Amino acid sequence: MNYSTSQFKNGLKLILDGNPCSIVNNEIVKPGKGQAFNRVKFKDLITGKTLEKTYKSGESLEGADVMELEMQYLYSDGEKWHFMEPESFEQFDLSEESMGSAIDYLVEQDICIVTLWNNNPITVVPPIQVILEVIDTDPGLKGDTAGTGGKPATLNTGVVVQVPLFVGIGDKVKVDTRTNEYSGRA
Amino acid sequence: MSEVKKNLVHYQDLIIKIREFFYSRKVTEVKTPSLLFSPTTDVYIDSIEVKVNHDISRPTDLYLHTSPELEMKRLLSKGSGDIFQICQVYRDNEYGSNNSNEFTMLEFYRIDFNIHSLVNEITDLLKVLGKTDAVTKISYAQAFSEYGNIDILDADLEDLKKIANSLGLNSDYDWIEDLQTLLFVHLIEPKLNQIPICFIYDYPKEQSALAKIEGPIAHRFELYLSGIEVANGYEEIQSADEYRDRFNNELYKREKISKKNSLVDEEFLRDMKTGLPYCSGVAIGIERLFSTISL
Repeated sequence: MNYSTSQFKNGLKLILDGNPCSIVNNEIVKPGKGQAFNRVKFKDLITGKTLEKTYKSGESLEGADVMELEMQYLYSDGEKWHFMEPESFEQFDLSEESMGSAIDYLVEQDICIVTLWNNNPITVVPPIQVILEVIDTDPGLKGDTAGTGGKPATLNTGVVVQVPLFVGIGDKVKVDTRTNEYSGRA
Repeated sequence: MSEVKKNLVHYQDLIIKIREFFYSRKVTEVKTPSLLFSPTTDVYIDSIEVKVNHDISRPTDLYLHTSPELEMKRLLSKGSGDIFQICQVYRDNEYGSNNSNEFTMLEFYRIDFNIHSLVNEITDLLKVLGKTDAVTKISYAQAFSEYGNIDILDADLEDLKKIANSLGLNSDYDWIEDLQTLLFVHLIEPKLNQIPICFIYDYPKEQSALAKIEGPIAHRFELYLSGIEVANGYEEIQSADEYRDRFNNELYKREKISKKNSLVDEEFLRDMKTGLPYCSGVAIGIERLFSTISL
């Protein structure tokens, strides 16, 4: 199905240069003495890159069959990361490349958003906040609760996050997956 | 005071300031008909058709004005002197957050002004309305060379197609002015977001509309407020023959892109036989302008 510029709106999924993209901004520009254009910002759903294009009014683009579904992360066999759609029990797997930074945050049983294109998973977005366990960090100074200083800590997914000095091995911490920042003890 | 009342009073205050600005400069306020016998010839502007007097067996097709330009020029040709008008205008096939089928226009004409004196006067008006930011003035060619590294006055249709392709844009355009506009909208306009008040002047002659042409450029300007186009001004062509040529060119383009046909306004051309005095004129979109002026 094709979509004409007059049907463009934020969130519409279209094929651009062969990749599925989502419209993040659609601006109609009509110069005083000139033809109308749509100046459109897209997010490439595979690479995550932002693209800017301008179309004359009336141009059309092919729609992309893209769905975002809540799924449960099951396990990784080292090559593939396996997910299940909890209503249909249908399972999907993603490669390391498609997992992107989600690898750093997902532990088994976590619920996350998986994007399917033509029923194939292309990206996964972890929950905004995850709870992970510290498996390695230098001993901190006792009594430092102000969190003014910081130190690196390795968490059970392998990701390294700056944590306050009082955090020790075995502690559970909350991490903001958008910024890779410590946001509190769990 | 309720929000609604506050907004209405704010709008009224700005309109009063505009009127006082022109009264103090001896510019006469006029009112011209909004129901016209001829639709606009502009290729990318569409008139809204109105059918009247059907029930009394005198059926007539009229058109809501898309701008008061021609009617105001008829007054100028008859000796009105400097004039301004604030009115509603109507256009078909418009949508989007900055476009509408109906909007308010301030249009004014100043005898013996070139576009630069008109730009200065608009700057004064903006100050009166509380917009005191620094004013940037840049020619169309400078804007392209600065923001796009393109020599726009030297580039032909094929050059511009290549540039459009290199940006991943469709280059399937028949007329160079459409490619110029595509590249302006794509490359230049987004850069103007950062500039509170920006006048762009001296457009390529292909985009002359009804402005005087001198060599490769047309004496035309546009005003952008934070990247939004707010005004469009010309040093006006003066003779009936020039108007006929420009109208016919627009009609030819309408036909080429299979748009509803239009007609040359012969009555207007008859008035132009006496000639328009040397003047410059501008149309300013009031809603867009006011949206940049806070309460």
